[in-house]
Amino acid sequence: MTTPLKGTRSVYREFLIEEYRVEEEPFYIPVGDEIELFEAAYQQKIPVLLKGPTGCGKTRFVEHMSWRLGRPLSRVSPNSDNGGSSVPLITVACHEDLTASDLVGRYLLEGEETKWIDGPLTRAVKAGAICYLDEIVEARKDTTVLIHPLTDHRRLLPIEKRGQVLFADDGFLLCMSYNPGYQSALKDLKQSTRQRFVAIEFDYPDREVEAKVIEHESGVNPTVAISLAKLGEKVRNLKDYGLQEGSSTRLLIYAGKLIKQGIAPRRACQCAVVWGVTDDHEVQRSMEEIISSIFE
Amino acid sequence: MTTGLADLERELERFPSSVVDEFRRATQKVSPKLSDFDVASWAKQGVDIAKQTVRSWEAASEFFRASPEVVDTLNATQLLDWGRQGSLLCQESPSLAVAFFRSSPRAFHSLRPRYIQSWANLGKTFYRGTWKSSALSAKFFEISGPVLESANFSELERFAELMDYVSHKSSDLAAECMAMAEQVLPKVGGDRLAFIRLCRAVAEANWREVKGCFESVSRLTTYIQEGQRAKFMDMTAEMAKSGMPNISLFINESATSLGRATAASQGRFLELAQTLIPKSHEAASAFLRNAPGLLGRISEVQVEAWYDHGMRILQDNPDGGMAYFKIESNTSEEVIDLLSSAVELEKIEEILRMYCRGLAGAEVDIASSRDMAGKNIGWVSEDHATTEGTTVFLPQEMNKFPSKDENFSFFKVVSTHQVAHIEFGSFGFDFDAPASRFQDNRHLREEEVQKQRRERLAARAQQQAQQPDFPLPPRLAALEGATLPPTPAPTDGDGTAEKGYLTDMGRFFDLFPIRKLALDIFTVLEDARLDYRVKAEYPGVAPAYRHIQQDALDQRPDIKEMPLQEAMVEFLVRFSLHQYKNLPVPTEFMDHAAVIAEVAKRLLHTDAAVEDTSEATLRVYDIIADLPNQQMDEEDWSEMDVEEQELSDDQLDELLDQMREMRQGNDGTQGEQDQQGEEYESPPQVDFRGDFKPELSQILNTLRQQMGQGQASGQQMQMSPEMLQQMLANSPELELDAESGQFNADLAMFIQNLVKEAGAQPPDQPGQGYGPIPHQDEDGGSLEAREPKTFVYDEWDFRAGDYKPRWCIVREKPMAEGDTQFYTDTVHSYGRLMSQIRRQFEMLMPEEYKKVKHLPDGDDFDLDAVVEAIIDKWAGESPTDKVHWRRNKIDRDVAVAFLLDMSASTAEAIDEARRVEDWDAPDDPVEYMVWLRARRGEGARRTYKRIIDLEKESIVLLIHALETVGDVYGIYGFSGYGRENVEYYVIKDMEETFGERVKRRIDKITPLHATRMGPAIRHVTSKLDKQEKRTKLLMLISDGRPQDRGYSREGVEKEYAVHDTKMALTEARRKGITPFALTVDKAGHDYLKTMCQDMGYEVLGDINNLPSRLPMLYRKLTF
Repeated sequence: MTTPLKGTRSVYREFLIEEYRVEEEPFYIPVGDEIELFEAAYQQKIPVLLKGPTGCGKTRFVEHMSWRLGRPLSRVSPNSDNGGSSVPLITVACHEDLTASDLVGRYLLEGEETKWIDGPLTRAVKAGAICYLDEIVEARKDTTVLIHPLTDHRRLLPIEKRGQVLFADDGFLLCMSYNPGYQSALKDLKQSTRQRFVAIEFDYPDREVEAKVIEHESGVNPTVAISLAKLGEKVRNLKDYGLQEGSSTRLLIYAGKLIKQGIAPRRACQCAVVWGVTDDHEVQRSMEEIISSIFE
Repeated sequence: MTTGLADLERELERFPSSVVDEFRRATQKVSPKLSDFDVASWAKQGVDIAKQTVRSWEAASEFFRASPEVVDTLNATQLLDWGRQGSLLCQESPSLAVAFFRSSPRAFHSLRPRYIQSWANLGKTFYRGTWKSSALSAKFFEISGPVLESANFSELERFAELMDYVSHKSSDLAAECMAMAEQVLPKVGGDRLAFIRLCRAVAEANWREVKGCFESVSRLTTYIQEGQRAKFMDMTAEMAKSGMPNISLFINESATSLGRATAASQGRFLELAQTLIPKSHEAASAFLRNAPGLLGRISEVQVEAWYDHGMRILQDNPDGGMAYFKIESNTSEEVIDLLSSAVELEKIEEILRMYCRGLAGAEVDIASSRDMAGKNIGWVSEDHATTEGTTVFLPQEMNKFPSKDENFSFFKVVSTHQVAHIEFGSFGFDFDAPASRFQDNRHLREEEVQKQRRERLAARAQQQAQQPDFPLPPRLAALEGATLPPTPAPTDGDGTAEKGYLTDMGRFFDLFPIRKLALDIFTVLEDARLDYRVKAEYPGVAPAYRHIQQDALDQRPDIKEMPLQEAMVEFLVRFSLHQYKNLPVPTEFMDHAAVIAEVAKRLLHTDAAVEDTSEATLRVYDIIADLPNQQMDEEDWSEMDVEEQELSDDQLDELLDQMREMRQGNDGTQGEQDQQGEEYESPPQVDFRGDFKPELSQILNTLRQQMGQGQASGQQMQMSPEMLQQMLANSPELELDAESGQFNADLAMFIQNLVKEAGAQPPDQPGQGYGPIPHQDEDGGSLEAREPKTFVYDEWDFRAGDYKPRWCIVREKPMAEGDTQFYTDTVHSYGRLMSQIRRQFEMLMPEEYKKVKHLPDGDDFDLDAVVEAIIDKWAGESPTDKVHWRRNKIDRDVAVAFLLDMSASTAEAIDEARRVEDWDAPDDPVEYMVWLRARRGEGARRTYKRIIDLEKESIVLLIHALETVGDVYGIYGFSGYGRENVEYYVIKDMEETFGERVKRRIDKITPLHATRMGPAIRHVTSKLDKQEKRTKLLMLISDGRPQDRGYSREGVEKEYAVHDTKMALTEARRKGITPFALTVDKAGHDYLKTMCQDMGYEVLGDINNLPSRLPMLYRKLTF
């Protein structure tokens, strides 16, 4: 739903969050049975935890599933008369300051009165959307506890400030992502939280698949794509030997995009991959040597 | 005989009969050569000499004895003059005359008669009426003859002057020098005068060193080219004049060092050094000692550039310049490094390690090939790269190419190639796995070979039954032992193991009668496969790779001088290095070569695996082994080109069939047995590919796996040394000499090493020393940490304004464990203070709560925010709801390290600590031990508390406090003696939890040696640096200024130590660590002011306060 703002000539694409849908099929190549798993979980209303390193395609997967689940064949949401072709997707990026009211909703002052505004979670619950909490461990622990009643058989959301409980629409699914390696020990997910989800583990795809992804996303030719994928693989080999985290598919795509724009491959990889991944000069040097071996 | 003579003879009769005898003998010989008158005068002279004094008859006797010889070179007048000179000498002392006469015959070979008088006078100058001086003079006459054989008289005069000068200082020394001169002067050759000048200069500066000068001559002449010696000696003389000590050491060292340079370079170096002398003779000396050694790393022109840079530093800062020329400053090393095109493995090791890990995707280590060769497990080359599957071994330095980049890229190519062995599975060869580019022939071949062997064995058994005593030569016996897989093998369900082979590689090589040839072919083919794979997989490295391949090609030996089989392998090597055009081939065997090339080409494919290499090896081997290993004539060679295009499977098979038919057509059997020609020798290996030992690597890996399993399940090792021995006796990868009779012993030792290597865990038992401590001189250069748990650190030289690179070795060891008694006692005696401290620390806890504002909910409204929100509201803006504040608990995030001075001075009793004493450890090791023992003895006799005891007690109290707040803390003690032995004792490591062991270690804290603070601080800094804490604290507890043997300049400047310590503390600060120094030395203010400047420090007035003060101080610092 596009609403041109009054008084300006620019046109924004603006949606109410529960009305945002993925219209086009997001490009996604399944690596294993993750699509089937997610579909099954959705049917059975089991919340899903997506684990995996950064930039390996978790978010893309959720977008893809949102699109896929909306298709007639697999549509399970009875609340399907909203005209769209996919299940709405509400993404909440979690951060340290994310409070309960940020998720559930809060009263706002409006003139002399106050007005209740639903938070994204409440809206998802009402609309039967997939609520995707990205990087859940970043959220404060007291916030995380809030989702507990939604994730078990009860499927309800207590709205404390209004003294209400809200039952979830059948199409609602809570989904969150979590990157096990990178957070500090302090920020680990509580057992009581994580044991409410089925987990799907993601990792970077193997060379051929990743090359296809890179090729599709960045538009480079297959040779460059496979080289980038090769680079990704080699850089990931360095994890724990000087690198905290290997290079993500996302970074490889960025490199691909730069190459597509005419930047020399070695330089593109240096900017997108090497400097993106580490500040350590020696590690940088090693990675640059790998790059200069792979790219002419 | 005339009457005159007879009278004289009678006169002589009152002397010992020998005189008369000599007289008679001489007369007979002299008479024919002289007129009667002269004979009479001559005889008269002798008699007069004899009559001079009591013992002058001896001189006369010598006079007569020498005369017959002398008379050959002198005419009558001269002879009489000679006698007169002798007579004069005899008046001084008969022994002078004796020596004079005795030495004359030899001297007169070279001495012109007109110098006789001068010569006699020279000798006489030494005589000063004493016995010693007469001996010296006699010695002079004695050596004159030999010396004069090479020197002229004026040189002898110079020498005599020198000796005279020396003899005024010490006649013993002069005598020694004279004794040496006989050898030395001829050695110096034409540079005698220069040498004498040098000695004179040295003698004037410090006469004791003259002898050293004489002694160092032989080294000087060995190393310094003839044309340069004089220049060198004159320069040295100049240095001596300007007061440089230890000249002979300088001569020895700089001569040795110059020995590495050519004559021209020597000259240039000397010129450069010459210009340094006016600035600083020390710098000049350092330059000469070090510069020629640089030639290995940089060119002569670059050395000059290095020199220029040093010269500039020297002008600004003499100390800095000194350190620069001694290569004891970082600047100096940096400049060399900058100039040098050589790349040292050490410097790029980390980069390569990660590079290799990245490529291989496995834990790959990098080490120097020397390490590998040193293990004696089969790899012998120190300069070639290699790998055994887990570690890539590389040469220590690469200086083959003119630029750093090229040398680095050589390293890169080499390691890429080695990693390719790992990445593309060279060591994963599986006999039973199918090949993808060839039909599998391995199993068929194995059956054939086994059958033939059985037949041959049966035949031999028959033969031996007839000739039972026929002994087999050892190598052959070993060979026979390996021909049939005889051993009960470890069973793991593998076909290879069932057949009794240790490895698949071994099983494969067992198919070939000439294993060496098979190994070579396999190696070249596998390398060719890998080179192709690398270039395909890593196009970026391909240009460098081709460059290095081309370089390798240029260095191949002349193929035409090789016998046929070797030439064919060499052909393959060249092909594998991508020489497709103009390959030299024996004309007669061009077809063979073409087929070989075709087979090899099959491997140049991304699908080819190591199994394909093995199949290719089978085929190529068959072709090559069949050829006679004979030298071909020059004209029998032609050149061929190989097509890039590959043949189809069928075409290749057809070609191979043709080859086979040709062989069978030749003699119908396998041609190997009755082969003519030389024994096959491997062509030299390709440098960048290094040593490839697939079989050994497989064995090593198998062993490693077994070790791992064996340890896990407690089983015995499955592969016994005997089995290994049997298997390896025949491996072509081992370069053991079968004929030497050492074979079995070498093999056994080798296997021991191999098993050890597979076990690979270096025994690391803390608490035990690491062997005797090596003693290094303070003047030595950089150090290297070789042992486990040793660390090497730079040291700051404040005069030079630069670091001395890798100057100190810190040896970290756990503190020995004693009794917990001390701990318990302290807790008891400080009971009250302890609970007080604990309370105070506990009270700190509430302070940890801090007010956090701008919260949507919290303990109360934050008035400021509320006001703001209301204003917003009235202004029509949406007000913030973050109007609360709350107390948030913030985790304490502190890491602290305590560094405890355990120097000998802490043995002082506290009540006598005021006594002024020199706390400097003597520089001489012997004196030092005496000093130390005295100190310790003092300490032991005392029953009252020492400084160290108070330190220990403070630690106990502190631990209590720290355990209460839960900070991460480490406690370390340090001491040591000399820069190579900085001892660093771990009482409690950062990560360690507090427990009984720590209590026991506290007990063992005792005064030890000296206090070299810098390295200890640097080491603790590196430990703290690893801690990820917000607050890091370093507390140094000492009892006095830093001091150690050589922790000063020239042993006097205490500032040196203070400045190094200061620099170490500054380094810590730069790393985000807060240093704090606490000392109980009342005089501490003076140096702590320099040492700590803007850092915190405290001088404790009353040492008894230490236990209570330390925890309080800590509290103050961290809260």
